[in-house]
Order: sequence, then structure tokens, then C-alpha cells
Amino acid sequence: MTRDDAERDREILETRETAVITAFEGDVPVGTRTPSALRHRIRNLIPAGIAFVLVIVVWETAIRVLDVKAFILPAPSVIVDRFIATWEVVWGAGWNTFKEAIGGLVMGTLLGVLVALSSVRWVPVREGLMPFAIAANSVPIIALAPIANGMFSITSSVPKIVVVAVVVFFPVMINTTRGLLEVDADELELMRSYAATPREVMRRVRVPHSLPYFFSAMKVAAALAVISAIVAEYFGGSQDVLGQYILNKASLFVYPDAWAGILVASFLGVGLYSLVLVTERLVMPWHVSFRGADAT
Amino acid sequence: MSLVVDASNVGKVFGSGDAQVEALQDISMEIRPGEFVSVIGPSGCGKSTLLRLIGDLLTPTSGTLLINGKTPLQARVDRDYGIVFQKSTLLDWRTVRKNVELPLEIMDIEERETSAAEMLDLVQLNEFGEHYPWQLSGGMQQRVAIARALAFNPSLLLMDEPFGALDEMTRELMQQEVLRIWDETDTTVVFVTHSIPEAVFLSTRVIVMSPRPGRISEIVETGLPHPRDEDTRESQQYYDKVTDVREALRHEEAKR
Repeated sequence: MTRDDAERDREILETRETAVITAFEGDVPVGTRTPSALRHRIRNLIPAGIAFVLVIVVWETAIRVLDVKAFILPAPSVIVDRFIATWEVVWGAGWNTFKEAIGGLVMGTLLGVLVALSSVRWVPVREGLMPFAIAANSVPIIALAPIANGMFSITSSVPKIVVVAVVVFFPVMINTTRGLLEVDADELELMRSYAATPREVMRRVRVPHSLPYFFSAMKVAAALAVISAIVAEYFGGSQDVLGQYILNKASLFVYPDAWAGILVASFLGVGLYSLVLVTERLVMPWHVSFRGADAT
Repeated sequence: MSLVVDASNVGKVFGSGDAQVEALQDISMEIRPGEFVSVIGPSGCGKSTLLRLIGDLLTPTSGTLLINGKTPLQARVDRDYGIVFQKSTLLDWRTVRKNVELPLEIMDIEERETSAAEMLDLVQLNEFGEHYPWQLSGGMQQRVAIARALAFNPSLLLMDEPFGALDEMTRELMQQEVLRIWDETDTTVVFVTHSIPEAVFLSTRVIVMSPRPGRISEIVETGLPHPRDEDTRESQQYYDKVTDVREALRHEEAKR
């Protein structure tokens, strides 16, 4: 931070043509040195890559050397083998689960954002709703899954989407509300000095402010969406989904196949999470958490 | 010509009952168009409160306050003033140029790009238009804040300790900048500060305030010639006025 300040001070001095200033030699403005950023980021990934390879190697060796039975833990090579052998079925199931997860994620997010916006716009809504929302957020909503199966057609994807949407709703709503409300008092005074309408304040100050909060909620929600979709599937319904696939394979003692299902489930989770990360970067390239890579 | 600020017996009380605090008492003053008036005093003397009353960010509890002959509310709605805070309050997600355009967007003023470019010229930051605020130094950020405050041509510029967070050297450069800008525009400036040299160097008049409750204890005319530069800071008259303001502040201390 101090170093940055020093650099910035140098810049301000450069732009002025006073005698004192010539003592400071030229420098590039902070944040324009992007070419090195990509290399920097790739270098940051190397330790994680090494750790991943190490874990797989240790896992594989341990299973072989200690002769661990497949029903306790299969070797990675076996899981990958089964994944390739069954991939059409397991991907099909994964795709169906993915559709439930993303359907619920989108619905829950839309609803969460809508409620957050109105609770900030109208104080009574906030005061009436927030205590319940916070209480509901600590309830294990996933427990609703069997009931949702009864409420809606169990063979359809609707009960699963509903469960995912309800699970996703609360963190998104609560975080977004907080982001919309936690606005600098100075910024509100500034907007007031412009005689800006509440709508303008919402649009120009509150919504941009809430984006970091929204995206951190979305990262949690993306993981929750896949988890809750699979758990909801455990309670019955269509067979061509990951939850049922894993459940069936496990009950038939075909553990390596069940693990292949878990592998697909992990792909879904990581995939959704990455989708959120990419969107976040596109929507708010200005944000503080991305500056490090550009500034150094 | 009508007065820009016309205050008579203005008071401001915060809170109610036992928790009541009298922030300002019996403030009467007149500020004429084109003046550069500083308000100085120790912490808690209500100088920022006074500025907020002028800007209708707070409402007085007693007395009458007129801005350009109107109520403060009407003046605010008419966008009669621009304001600069101690923090630059730039919006992180907007580039420098977009920050300057912000009030123009809200006020639905056309030809934003031209105005923003003019303003950035005025504060000599044109080549930084596409930078984000966090890429600028504190002094540059404050210059952007000034450009933004002046973008819609308000007749009055309110400044609340705008250079309080800057280092001494940047601060003196910024004071020169503000004087130049004040010279190039027809803006009236009300400038809150706790720095005596700053108040004297910048102002045509310095309003000295005393705390608990905040009231005006003295008004010092600086009478320093314009344009003011580094030589002004070394002139005898400047020293004399700094001494006058200092004594006015100390005098108040002694009385309590």
C-alpha cells in the first residue's frame, strides 16, 4: 500500500510542470502493466497443480500397496476407468441434475435479488421480512426435500428445482440486502446534494455496491445448488439423475461406478462455481479483489 | 446583487431530551457572490454542520437561512451548489471521466462528454480520464472530486476539509489549484478547514468559530492581493493575518 502511494505521488507530481517535480523520474501509472499479470496468475497455480498430482499419486499407491478393498475406497485409476466405461449414462444423469441445479439457482437468485431490492426500497418490507429471513437461513432447508416431492409431481424435476431455489434464495437475499444497505454515508450525502431520486440512488450507488456481496453469495449458492439437487434426488423421483445413480450403484455394491457419479457431481459443482467467477470478473472488472494482478 | 448565503440567528440542535446537543447557536453571516470564505475552528465547533445546513444535508432548528435568496431545500433541488468532502467519494466502478459525468447523468444534462472534458482540463487531469479512481493518488482523486462538483456549473462550491487527508506538499499544490479554479470560474466558495495557514492563504474572509455551542467568534478579512502564489506565503501581510486568526482562536480558548 505504501509503495503504491509513493508511486501515485510520483505521478501526480509528474503531471505538474513545477521545478520541484523534475527531480522525480517517469513511471508508468499503476494498473497499466497487464502483460505480466497472466504469467503471474499461472505461476500462482503451480503449487496447487503439484499438490493435486501428489494427492492422486499417494492415493493410488496407498490403495495398491495396502490392498484396500474397492468398497472402502477405489483407486483413482479405477474410478476414471469406470467413468470412461459408463460415461454416456453417468453424463446423462449429470446433465439432468445440472438442469435442476441451474434452474433452481436461477429461480432462487432472481427471487432473492427481487426481495432484496424491495426490502431496501421499502423499509416496512425490510423490517417485517428480515428477521424471518435470517431465522430461515439457519434452518436446514434441505429437510424439505421429501415434502417437496409430495407437493409437486415426484417424477418431474419440479420438486428438485423448488428445493434448490429455496436453498439458494436465503443467502442471496440476505447478502444482497446487506450490500445494498452498506453504502458509504458520504456517497448518500453526495447523491442528496444532487437531489437524486431514490431510484437514481439505487441504480447508481446501491446496486453497484451490492455486486461484491451478491457474487460472494453466488459462490456459496452455486455449491449449495448442486448439493441440494443431489440430496433432493436421494428421496426418489426420476432415476436418470446423479443422486439416484449414486444411490443405486452403492446399493448394488458397485462402488467404483458410484464414485464415477461423485466425480461428475464434483465437475458440476466446480463448473457452476467457475461460471460465477467468470461472470463476476466480467461484471465488475473494477473490483478491489482483482487489482492485485494488475498492479504488480 | 443577492447574497449567496444569508444566515440570521441560525441554530442547530441534535437529539432530544437529555441527549440534546446544541451544535450551532445564533449564526448570522452573509456571503456575497464571488467570495472565498473559510470557516475555521477546533473540532466540535460545528463548522461541518454549518456547511451541511447550507447544503440542505441537515435542517436548522431555528433562525432563517437563505441560499441565493431561496430556502436551502429549493437551492439543493435547483442544483445551486456542488460539494467536496474530505474523502473524495469517487465511485470505484466508474472511470475518472464517468465519475465527473455522474451529476450530469443524474441531472439529465446533455453533452456530458464535452463538459467532463472541460472539467478535467480545468483540474489538469485530462489524460487520466480513462483511469479508475484507485489508480490515482489522493491529491488527484480530490481534483476529480472538485471537477465533479463543478461539472454542472453550480454558483456555489462547498468544501468540507477537502485536503485534510493529504500530505503537506500536495496540500499546498492543491490550494494553488483551488485558487486558480476559483479565479477561472465565477464560483463562490465556502471552505471548511482546521488549518490556519490554509484558511488565510485561500480566503477573502475567514470565519472563526468556537465550540460548545458552535458560534461565530470573529470574522477576519484577509485583504491579501490576488493572484496569490508562493510569495504570498512569505509576505508580511500573510503572517499578520495568520497571527490574527490564531489569536482569535486562542482568545476564545482563554475565555472558557
